[in-house]
Amino acid sequence: MAISAGQIVFYYLAAASIASAILAVTRANPVHGMLWVLALFLHVAGIFLLAGAEFLAAVQVIVYAGAILVFYLFFLMLLDLPAEAAGPRFGRHWPLCALAGFAFAALALWVRIPGLTPAGELTASASRGSLRTFGLALFQQFVLPFEILSLVLLAAIVGAVVVARGRTGS
Amino acid sequence: MAPLGSYLALSAILFAIGMIGFLSRRNIILMLVSAEIMLNAVNVSLAGFSHHMADQRGQILALFVIAVAAAELAAGLGLVIALTRNRPGVNIEDLTQLKW
Repeated sequence: MAISAGQIVFYYLAAASIASAILAVTRANPVHGMLWVLALFLHVAGIFLLAGAEFLAAVQVIVYAGAILVFYLFFLMLLDLPAEAAGPRFGRHWPLCALAGFAFAALALWVRIPGLTPAGELTASASRGSLRTFGLALFQQFVLPFEILSLVLLAAIVGAVVVARGRTGS
Repeated sequence: MAPLGSYLALSAILFAIGMIGFLSRRNIILMLVSAEIMLNAVNVSLAGFSHHMADQRGQILALFVIAVAAAELAAGLGLVIALTRNRPGVNIEDLTQLKW
């Protein structure tokens, strides 16, 4: 079986993202963990590029790696980082958690879908990743979920302000 | 191109890592970051299905997942601010006021 260049790149990206995810959840220093999450997000953006989802890759880099991660890093400044890094990083129940995680992974890898074949014409995939078809689908077929999503974001922002402001406003 | 099975396997492994991190870390902010890893794993699976089935609805769903992740970030970090105002530190094991 010949291995194409795309497959080699995919397996590199997959191995790198798994390694950075493991490092991200096990580092004692939260800032180091956050930087490994940044590496994970960039590698996942590469996987999106390989899957023909260019717009999704751009959103992944801009929103996840840019906005969300910077926000998390900003909130880490609330912590007492040396004390945080010195204490135990896992709870006492961590073997149970690891067992649950491995059981989930084993279950998900064990379940196979044998009859999964492409539903549509694969020749149509040339224009599939383009921003034009993506935007048309987003604003025609999915316009109602899109608007509901904007309401969800608005509710989350207002809720965050209300919760974070505390009792001083009353 | 990589087969669909490898996308799904990668997604399952990343989701399991995020799940382990969410369940076992003691820091609330790192728990939220582990939840982001789980959401990202689901996005990998959606992009793989979208690629395999030549259907871009998977990508749109992944975009919605990213927006929900942003909403989760805003709400979760607002809660963290409220918690750190009442008591310093973000250790999840200190939050035992509801324990009888």
